Amino acid sequence: MNAALLLLPAVLILAAGFLYPVALLGRISLNRTSDIGAMEPDLTLATFEKVVGDDFTWELAWNTATLAAGSALAATALALPVVLLIRAAPPRWRGLLSLMAIAPLLVSGTARIVGWLAILGDQGLINAALEGLGLATEPLRLINNLTGVRIGLTESLMPYACLVLIAGLGRLDPRLEEAAATLGATRTKTFLRVTLPLAAPALLAAFLLTFVLGVSAFITPRLMGGGRVFVIATEIFDLALETVDWPAAAALAMLLLGALAVALVLRTALTRSARA
Amino acid sequence: MRRSAILAAFTALGIAAAAPALAQGGQMTLQAYAGIFRDNYTEVVVNPFTARSGTQVQYFDGGTSAQMLGRLRAQKADPQTDVVIMDVTTAAVACAEGLVERIDASTLPVIGQLGEMAREAGGACGPAVTYDHLVMVYDTRAVQPAPTRWAAMWDPAQRGRVAVSAPPNIQGLALTAILAKAASGDWRNINAAMPRLRELAPNVQTFTPNPDGYTLILNDQVRFATGWNARAQLYSDQSQGRIGVVLPEEGTAFQINTINVVANAKNRAQALAFVAHALSAEAQKAFTERMFYGPTNPNAQVSQAALNRTALAPQFRERIVGVNWDEMVRLRESWNQRWRREVIAASGR
Repeated sequence: MNAALLLLPAVLILAAGFLYPVALLGRISLNRTSDIGAMEPDLTLATFEKVVGDDFTWELAWNTATLAAGSALAATALALPVVLLIRAAPPRWRGLLSLMAIAPLLVSGTARIVGWLAILGDQGLINAALEGLGLATEPLRLINNLTGVRIGLTESLMPYACLVLIAGLGRLDPRLEEAAATLGATRTKTFLRVTLPLAAPALLAAFLLTFVLGVSAFITPRLMGGGRVFVIATEIFDLALETVDWPAAAALAMLLLGALAVALVLRTALTRSARA
Repeated sequence: MRRSAILAAFTALGIAAAAPALAQGGQMTLQAYAGIFRDNYTEVVVNPFTARSGTQVQYFDGGTSAQMLGRLRAQKADPQTDVVIMDVTTAAVACAEGLVERIDASTLPVIGQLGEMAREAGGACGPAVTYDHLVMVYDTRAVQPAPTRWAAMWDPAQRGRVAVSAPPNIQGLALTAILAKAASGDWRNINAAMPRLRELAPNVQTFTPNPDGYTLILNDQVRFATGWNARAQLYSDQSQGRIGVVLPEEGTAFQINTINVVANAKNRAQALAFVAHALSAEAQKAFTERMFYGPTNPNAQVSQAALNRTALAPQFRERIVGVNWDEMVRLRESWNQRWRREVIAASGR
């Protein structure tokens, strides 16, 4: 009884801040949209049928999944050496280094993207340097396309991957690596045969977390894609705020939510089996 | 006694309906665009209204028209705003959903003074309050001589230096209609516009200029962009002419903002009085001269200098492509898909 009471505030906050808006979204998705865009109250699955039956929705799903998977993979791979370095550092430096690794989370996503625009833009830092050194006559197209979105998304996901890996690798017993070295294993062999297998559950958890975040990413594809990168989140934005087709936006959002729920269930199952 | 009380009540109601401009004092909330629109509209339209009527106007930054529509939907049972200024396509949705009042010259006599297009723009609901139009903006330092045609954006020398807002943004829809009209005589004929848009695609750096094309020009990111005349004229002045504004020879299309009284507004009398003021010749003249939106009240005696910076100047009127936005809304989804598959996909960046 007491435990249930203790849970009550969290349940109420969850109900007010998540369940109610999701229920409202679900209700809107069952309405209809007239040909001029007016929302007509209804209880129909017609909008879901339209959204699911549209080839473009599947193209969006593919774009979203591949972009998120690629960026999550890159973020996890790039975070691993950073975390290994933190782990190998003297204990008194680890706190500071960990803070530095996740410091980008302290800066707004939009501000970070403005920074990327200055670095990757056609007249940005990289292109100015290349042209200045005589290495390029035409600017490299590093932004307002898929390349830019991949770079921006990978960078924005890296701190999350670092957080998961710091927690996961922090639990590894360093004596196992020392034992491998004592038995004559080189540093590379120790890493490949001891550290990496032991880090696998943390790597998987980092990948799955960043994948889920990548699937729902909006700001980076919107601001760095130049209108060329179509993912589900940008489509929901366009439907809600450009064409004001709320039922279609809500239906797409519900489908995305369902897909993310499936991904989270898979993540839990995979993490459990990896631990086992 | 009872009969006289009823008579007095009906008389009071009759006065309120026939002469909303007589409303004095009280307060009301206006929901409209933020930024420079707010600053200038407050100064030349809202403040004079307050001074004359004693009504305090709270200006609520509504964001985009779609965001304003969202707020009207969310507050349908308990509206928190009384008057809303929004784009004509979004206002049509609000009107169809009963979120704004049906209104005509019998309720507001000033509506009878407006031009035909202004009256028809809002359908059964509020009329047009401003006209704006699509323009080409360019960097006057980098582009010389001054261009006069949309075709300047197609110049191969401008590869990667053009920003175009693609559909579903209405700038992209308007540009498509203008090119279709120029190529075939019919703004609806997207097939006529597509070849030209595909040719333009390689020059386009971004199809979603952020925060807008004017800023990208000032930051040396692009040399050409599509824009709306009123803001472009203001940014041109603020940048000491760095941003050039062209109403291209191939044509332009109007973007129309309508003004509406919110359904079940808490301060309806003040709202009607404000709408009457906003549509008056005096307020229309003041706002056109301040921000170069075209006046919807033909009685507004706008200075020639200001009029020349709108599409309503005699020398520009023939360039206006008569886009019917009700029809455009129905075409929007198919045009959007064709842009994605045939234009953006061809941009090869």
